[in-house]
Amino acid sequence: MITRLSHTTLFVSDQEKAYDFYVNKLGFKVHTDAKMENGSRWLTVAAPEQPDLEIVLMPLNGMMKLDDESQKALQILLEKGVMGAGVLTTPDCRATYEELKSKGVVFRSEPKEQFYGIEALITDGCGNWFSMTQPL
Amino acid sequence: MSHSPDIYQRIVAAKLYIDNNFTENIDLEQISRQAYLSRFHFHRLFRRIYKKTPHQYLTSKRMERARTLLTANDLTISEVSAELGFESPATFSNLFRKQSGMAPQNYRSASLQLMEDIKTQPKRFIPHCFINQYQLEA
Repeated sequence: MITRLSHTTLFVSDQEKAYDFYVNKLGFKVHTDAKMENGSRWLTVAAPEQPDLEIVLMPLNGMMKLDDESQKALQILLEKGVMGAGVLTTPDCRATYEELKSKGVVFRSEPKEQFYGIEALITDGCGNWFSMTQPL
Repeated sequence: MSHSPDIYQRIVAAKLYIDNNFTENIDLEQISRQAYLSRFHFHRLFRRIYKKTPHQYLTSKRMERARTLLTANDLTISEVSAELGFESPATFSNLFRKQSGMAPQNYRSASLQLMEDIKTQPKRFIPHCFINQYQLEA
């Protein structure tokens, strides 16, 4: 029986930039920040009210070893910004939209009412986009 | 319930004021002034938007900073308390214990130990499948 999700991976085009976005802009907490033997960095973050779900910020270059074809495929997808990575929940979509916009975060769409709540589409600047939703 | 864009911008401005000034001795009067709203009106709107009162949010920011200070440098508990604008170390320690479930000194010891373990044995903190699949140690 599987009961919980503890780790999930986000491939990012730039780990430093991803740190700035998730930690400094979104306010996520660093869960584990470890230097590996090969000098690469194992970096996981967690949403403020969900500390036990580690999001691995996995850079394409310099950390993991993938075959060339896979690496290029991932790179292309990140560059195109088509990696839809999930739904972020907020108590107030419009307020969070205003705040993040003031911090330079790029949105694909402004807050709109949907049948499940108020939703805006947010990008992390590292190849991923999310729904940012205020549930009904 | 949604509000006008102007109201959102005002409440967000006040929240950002807290984010940027929580180590100072700020109060609700100063915070609500950032939003150009009365204390009562501001309190009500802030709570509706963030599901916390301004005071609860301010305290959470201070505790978050306390956790960083306790692990990032050699400040004494009294110095951390003063840095965050608390009237006394006892007030700070009691609140910290209430929020974090342990005394500041115990939190510091546990966090420093954890940081040391992550530094010296990073692989203990990474699921082995990641190391294998992506050859992270290569």
